[in-house]
This record gives sequence, structure tokens and C-alpha cells, in this order.
Amino acid sequence: MADTNVKRDFVDPKVLGRLMGLPLHARHPMLGAVSGRHRSPIRGSSLEFAEYRKYVPGDDLRRLDWRAWGRSDRYYIKEFEADTNLRMCLIVDTSGSMNFGEETGNHISKLEYARRLAGTLAYLAANQGDACGVYCAGTEFHSEIPPKRGAIHLGVVLDKLAEMEADGETGLADSIHEAAEKISQRALVIIISDLFVPPQDLKSGFQHLRFRKHDVAVFHLIDQNEIDFEFDRPTRFIDLEGGAPLLADPTLIANQYRKAVKGYLEEVDTLVRDAEIDYHRVGLAEPYDNVLARFLLGRTPKTKK
Amino acid sequence: MSFLAPLLLWGLPLAALPVIIHLINQHRHRTVKWAAMMFLLDAKRMTKGMARLRQILILAMRVLAILALVFALGRPLASGWVALTAGGAPDTVLVLLDRSASMEQQNLLTGESKRSTALEKIADLIDKVGRRTRVVLIENTENRPIDIEEAANLVDLPATWPTDTTSDVPAMLETALDYITTNETGRTDVWLASDLRGKDWDPGSGRWDSIRAAFSSLEGVRFYLLNYPDIASDNISVTIDNVSRRKIGDQAQLQMDIYLRRHVPVGAEDPPDVEIPIEFVINGVRTADKVKLEGVDLAMQGHTIPISTTVERGWGKVAVPADSNPRDNAFYFVFDEAPSQKSVIISDDSQVIEPIRAALSSQIDPGKNYVAEVLPPTRIAEIPWEETALLIWHAPIPEPISPDGGLLRQFIEDGKTVIFLPTEDNPGTDGFYGGNWGEWVGNETDPIPVGWWRTESDLLANTQNGDPLSVGELNFFRIRKFEGEGQPLMKSETDDSILTRVPTDTRGAVYFLGTLPSVSHSSLAREGVVFFVMLHRALDEGSAALANAQQRDADPFLFGDDGPNWKTLDVQETADENEMSITKGMLAGAFENQAREQLVAVNRALDEDAVASIDEGEIENLFAGLDYRVIKDEVGDGNSLASEIWRAFLITMALALMLEAVLCFPQKTEKKVTAPAVPEPS
Repeated sequence: MADTNVKRDFVDPKVLGRLMGLPLHARHPMLGAVSGRHRSPIRGSSLEFAEYRKYVPGDDLRRLDWRAWGRSDRYYIKEFEADTNLRMCLIVDTSGSMNFGEETGNHISKLEYARRLAGTLAYLAANQGDACGVYCAGTEFHSEIPPKRGAIHLGVVLDKLAEMEADGETGLADSIHEAAEKISQRALVIIISDLFVPPQDLKSGFQHLRFRKHDVAVFHLIDQNEIDFEFDRPTRFIDLEGGAPLLADPTLIANQYRKAVKGYLEEVDTLVRDAEIDYHRVGLAEPYDNVLARFLLGRTPKTKK
Repeated sequence: MSFLAPLLLWGLPLAALPVIIHLINQHRHRTVKWAAMMFLLDAKRMTKGMARLRQILILAMRVLAILALVFALGRPLASGWVALTAGGAPDTVLVLLDRSASMEQQNLLTGESKRSTALEKIADLIDKVGRRTRVVLIENTENRPIDIEEAANLVDLPATWPTDTTSDVPAMLETALDYITTNETGRTDVWLASDLRGKDWDPGSGRWDSIRAAFSSLEGVRFYLLNYPDIASDNISVTIDNVSRRKIGDQAQLQMDIYLRRHVPVGAEDPPDVEIPIEFVINGVRTADKVKLEGVDLAMQGHTIPISTTVERGWGKVAVPADSNPRDNAFYFVFDEAPSQKSVIISDDSQVIEPIRAALSSQIDPGKNYVAEVLPPTRIAEIPWEETALLIWHAPIPEPISPDGGLLRQFIEDGKTVIFLPTEDNPGTDGFYGGNWGEWVGNETDPIPVGWWRTESDLLANTQNGDPLSVGELNFFRIRKFEGEGQPLMKSETDDSILTRVPTDTRGAVYFLGTLPSVSHSSLAREGVVFFVMLHRALDEGSAALANAQQRDADPFLFGDDGPNWKTLDVQETADENEMSITKGMLAGAFENQAREQLVAVNRALDEDAVASIDEGEIENLFAGLDYRVIKDEVGDGNSLASEIWRAFLITMALALMLEAVLCFPQKTEKKVTAPAVPEPS
């Protein structure tokens, strides 16, 4: 039973109202338990023609295309796409680094931003009959809610999102592998994280998900301050993930820092491109509804003219 | 390094400001919670080397810039020869200038002499750093303090013009000491410009002890010894001696001894042979000759120059070509009829009188008239003081304040010679010029041989061809010891001075011969050669004062108040009448007093040709315990003793700031990545 005291203000009805018209599509066929609006690898009985194939004994004669027989004197079975529902698994990074953001002028932390993204996506998925679940990837705050359909389950997911906290070191790579193993069928896996993990670890996690034929999307939360590193005097940097603090003169290391960030981002770009991941680099200053709109629009199948 | 505004150097700690600000900045860090620590750690690891070095260099440049600025404000001087490091210019600067002939050695490229180089440097230094400092000049000729209003005028002052005089450094220091103690000069710098000639410094003199002791008791006195010890290797000096006019048959000639000397530094190899043209000028008529100088010295003894038989008196000079020291290239002489060679023997002892009279009346030079008159001590008043050249005084030494003493003193001051012989009675007087008789030693049977005698100069000097006199063959039986201060010329084996010259501070000479020529006292009469030579040398020395033609060393007091009466026949340097009136007597030349029918040839003192210098060890001994600095300079050296170099520090500061700016210039920044960035949809 969901805790009614938990605030769900991270789900904004106005944003939902704006995004409601944009359906959440999977980029790959999904294997759902019930009928839905997503393509399935299994042929079904939707209205959308898929292909012809030769008749083999045992096929249902009702699906025989008599017109084709009349034209070619051959037996063809007319197949249609099957529509199924979607399993959406949200992997939210709950490491300490996700607390970053409030002090930088954006007045919102990465975790809060992730919460809003995840909550809105969960609502949108549930609203179109898809199943949604959430995995919290952190060493201190680690939990998982497998994807299920239904309003009640949505409430559970939203409650989990509401109560999750960022603390400790990141467990993102492990969580990705764990999710890849536990999600039994094809699913839309959405990772919301700052991805402060060695790219090699990320690469193996992403490849694992792709190996399991999951449709993977990544919201990479990174603040512009973390890229620009605009500091003008010596600063003591407190590691949000509990590591040793570091006193540094930004004027000395800024250039090397930027070089390291640039290298890292290029590596991530290569990595997501290779793994065919729907990657979105998100700055905290950008309204999250814009990010989601861009995400949803990007997934909308192209209509043939 | 010295500074004109040393108080500003208290600002040097400001150089620590950049470091302090850096450290404060480090401690005033702010704290930021940061997520992207992995990049920070990477950046920190990558920036350990060069960036740290860059930061250190930036700090160093800032520190250097401040240091340079503070130094520049302190008005630094290029060399540290000024006593300004401890609080500004001194109250008084005493310039002790040796302007003797040897200081005129020139740098032929610049035309500057040692004297002018030193003067210009000192004047420049004082002008730069001590405009409010009192400047006093003490030069060697008159040896009296002269207040200088404007240091820049030092070079042009008549008191600093070149002279042919000789120098007495201890005397100048004594004058400086008197001036300092009398005028309470406060913090005083004593600049002593000299060429370190041993004759000028006289390091063996007992005066140094008192000078050193007196200066040690003074506070705030610092010595700067501006030395020019270098000796030019191409310098040739000429001197002449024994000039006499002779008439042989119906021909007349001048006979003289000419000495040429090449000035070679001590220890240097002998220079190659060289042919030197010599110019002779006699009464303005020039003739020339050439001689070959082999080795260092050339002695042309008895050199004759034919002259007209009608020329009985006149002047002349012998000159060699110009070289690095113009002051020793010519030597003047005058000639006239030979003076009277009259001597007076005051004694009543015939054993003493006879050998002396025999010697002094011998006609060794046919051109001269030798007369020896004997007077007993009771007839001292009858001495013909004006005509007498040599006085043999075998009588009690007169009291200096007695009439006889006064006359005798005047006799000596006129340049004549006195030889005191001992008497049997006790002295009973205060002596004469600090010399007196002591007790008798020895007996008539045991001879006392000669232990040592002075061979280089004076009465017992070696002969002109360098052979020593046979002084060692003399025996002495009874010697009366000498008491007082004097220069021994002959000593017995028992270290008793037998013949002593007493310093008189006048032209005259006073000798104390501590024995008698009688058989009971010595073998002087029996071995007569030495005694004969000794007496005639003394006679020549005394008769020189009687001569109408005299050779004199350059001396500012040579003509005294009688200077205007002396007409200049020739001088070594071209000078106008005004200059001549100032320098007369100090420059070599020939002069004539027509009223008194006297001729005088003025030349540099022979000591000026002596190249022996004192070394640093001797300077150290002479100035032991005093605050002094030795500055070895070179003649004609154009470098200033102190030049302000604040510009160099400002340039250093500017360079440091520029370098700092270059180091601070932002390095090529990495192209910023803007978030969000969305890769191409896959």
C-alpha cells in the first residue's frame, strides 16, 4: 500500500498535460504480456500489415490471402504486426554525486531532476498501459521495483521515487548489470544518472543491456558548471560520494580539468553510439519537460509519406 | 653595493607580499560540494609538474619585481667604493692627492694621467653622492688643507695641476689627521690617490705608528686608497748629473753624466735593445744624437758637448722622445763658473787638523779653487760663513739658542754642510738637530772593524762605475757613540754608528763622524782614500749651495717670496704667465735671477724614477686596525667609481612583470562543451 504522506510534487500536472499527447514509443519491438501500442516481434492481428509468407500446412486458412491466390495461383499467408505493451524500467542513480546542483544556481539537484524525469515518464508509461518499474542504483540507497502495470503500481513507483535519497558511492554499473539480468523480457531501460563511472564499466553495462535486447535510453545529467569549471580562487572540493576532500587552485588545474571532461564526454559519446543507446545529455538549467518532449518526439516512429 | 637612499631598503620585506598574499589566498579558500571528483583528481594528477613550476615562477617574478623596485628607489651605485651604505653621504671628504711626477704616467690612448684619472673619478663620485659633503683637498706639494666649494672643480684647480715634485704620504696623512681633529669633521672619508711608490710612502718610517695610533682613536674615519700601481713598460726617464763647463786649450765644452733608464716592473724580463734619439738644448740651441739602450739602464758618464768659448754660463736640457710619462722625459741643467770650494776646520788638535786640511786643500779639479782654513774653537766668530761650503766642527756642539748655534743653524739652512767631530769632554749641550754625542768606546790597541756602510748614496756611496769604496779596510780604535735620531752611513761591528747623517728639513747636511782621523782613533788618515772621498763629497754638497748655478728638486717653496725675481728661461710645459706664477718651482725648468746672477735648474726628484712600489701586504700593515678599502684602478680607466644603476633595476622590474604577465596569460583553453549535447539519434 502506498504511503499517502509521501509528496508527489515532482510530478507536475501541467507537464503531464503537455506531454500527454506524445506517446512513449519503444524503438525496438517489445514483448509484452498484453496488447498495447508497441510493436511486438510476434505477428499478431493488428491492422498494420507486416509481410506475406508462403503457406505451410497447418496455417490457419482464415489468414490465407485469397486475392493473392487469385492473382498468382499461389498460397500466401498475410501477416500483421502484433501490438503489445511496454515494460519500462527506470534506473535512477542514487549515489551521493546526484545531490549536486542546488548550490550552482539551478536550485535543483540532479536527484530532484532525475526524480521529475522518472516520475513523469512513469506516469506517461502507466497512462498508456505500459508497465513501469524503478531501480535505485546506489550503494546506500538500493532498491528495485519490477515493472508492472496498473495505477496502484504506479503509486508504488512514485512513492519509491519520492522517498529515494542520494548518498554514498555510485553503484550504477552493478545496478545496470543486475537490471539486465533481472528484466526477463525485452524492455525499455531508461537510465537517469550523472554517469560519473569509468566509461569502461558503463560500456560493459550498456552492452549487457543491449545483449538482452533491451531498448536503452540514457539521461545523462551533467551541470554546465561541472563542464566549465569556472572558479577563480582556491577551493576546497568536498566529494559528494564521501571521498577525501581536495584543495585545489582552479586557475592551475582548470585547463586539465576541462581536458579530462572533454575526453570523458567524447568517450561517452562513442560508447552510446556504439551501443545504439538513446542518449540525452541534460543540463540542470534546461526545463525537464523540454527534455522529455525531445525524448518522446525522438522516439516517435517516422510516418511514411 | 651602495645606495644613496639606503633607508628605503627597509622596504625590502615588501618583497614577501606576493608570497604572503598567495598563502592568504590559499587559506581563504571556499568550500564547494563537488560531484565530478574523478575529473578533478585526473586534472590534479596531470598538473603536478609544469603548472607548479609556472606558479613558482610567477611568484618569483612578482617578488623580483618588488625587489627591483625597492632597490631602484634606494638609488644603487654600481660599485661599492662609497661609505654611504650606513646612512648617506659622509660629512667630510678629504682628498689626499699625490701629484708628484710619477703620477703623470699616462694612458696614451686616452691622454689621461694617473692624477687626472683619480681626480675625475673622485670629483665625479663626490658630485654624485655627496653634494652636501664638505670637500677638503690636501696635495703633496704644500701639504695643507684646501676647502673645495665645488667638487667638479677639483680637476681644474691649480692645486691639482701636475708637478715635478715628490710626495710624502705620511706627511699628508698627518695633515689630514690634524685637520680632522681640529675641525671635528664628523663622519669622514679620506680618499688617498697615489701610485704606491715606496719612496713616497716610506713604509719603514716610524711616523706610521703614530699615524695609525692616532687614526685608530678616531671614530667615523674611513680610508679609500685609490691606487695606480701599474708601471708603463715603455717609459724612459733621463737624468743628468755633474754638469761642468771645461776649457781645454782654446775650446770649451760642457761635461755631464747622462743616465737613461727604462722603467720595467719588478720581476719583468729585460726589454729588447732600442735606439733612442736624445735632444740636447743649450741656451736654446738644439742638437740631437742617438744612443742605443741595452737592457734597462744606460750611463753616459763624462759626456761632452762642445760649446762656444764665449759661453760661460747658461742653461740647457737633455730630452728623450715622448712616452707614457712626459714628466721624466727631460732634465734641466744650468752651468756657471765653479763656486768656491772653501772649507773651515774648527779644531785645535793638529793631529786632527792636518789630515783634513791636506785632503780638503787638494786640487782634485783644476777648474776649482780649494781652500781649507783652520780656526781654533775660540775664534768661531771669525768663520767666513758666507764663503764657506764645508765646516768641520771639532769642538763642543754649540747650544742651539747661542749666537754660535744660531749662525751654525743658518749656515745649514743655506744648504751647506757641517761635519761634527767628537771631542773628549762631555757633551754638555742639547745636541744639534736631534743628534748628540754619547760615550766613548774602544781603546787605542784593539781595532774595531767596520761592520756595514751605506753604499747606495751619500758620503760613502759606491763610485760612479759601481765600485765600492774600501771602507772595509778601515780600523777604528776609539769611537764616540751617536745619540739621537739619524741615518747611519757607517756602523762598526759592534753596531755603533760611526758616521751618521742627521735629518735637517733644510737643504744643508749635518754629519756626525764618531771618531777622529788621528792615529790613536782610527786609520782614516792612514787609509786616506775613503776619508779623502768622504770629505770632498761633503765639500761638493756644501759648495753646491754657493754656486750661482744650482740643481734643485722641484719644490713649491723653492723660490719663496722671491719668485717674481726669477725669470723663466724654459719650462717643460707650455704655460701662460699666470699658470707659471702658480706653478713656479713645482715644474721642471731653468730659471734665472738676474739681480743675483743666479741660475737654477729645477727637476723632479730622483726618487720619482724609483719604480719600487709597496704591495698589498705592506698596505695592510700600514693601515692595520683602520677602516680602509683598497681600490686598484688603472690609468685612463673610464669607469666611474660610482654610477647610479637604478635604471637597470627598473628594467629588471619591467622584465619581471612582463615575464609574470606572460606566465599568467591564460593558456589555450579547452573548447567548452555545452550541455545538453545530443548525439545523432541512433
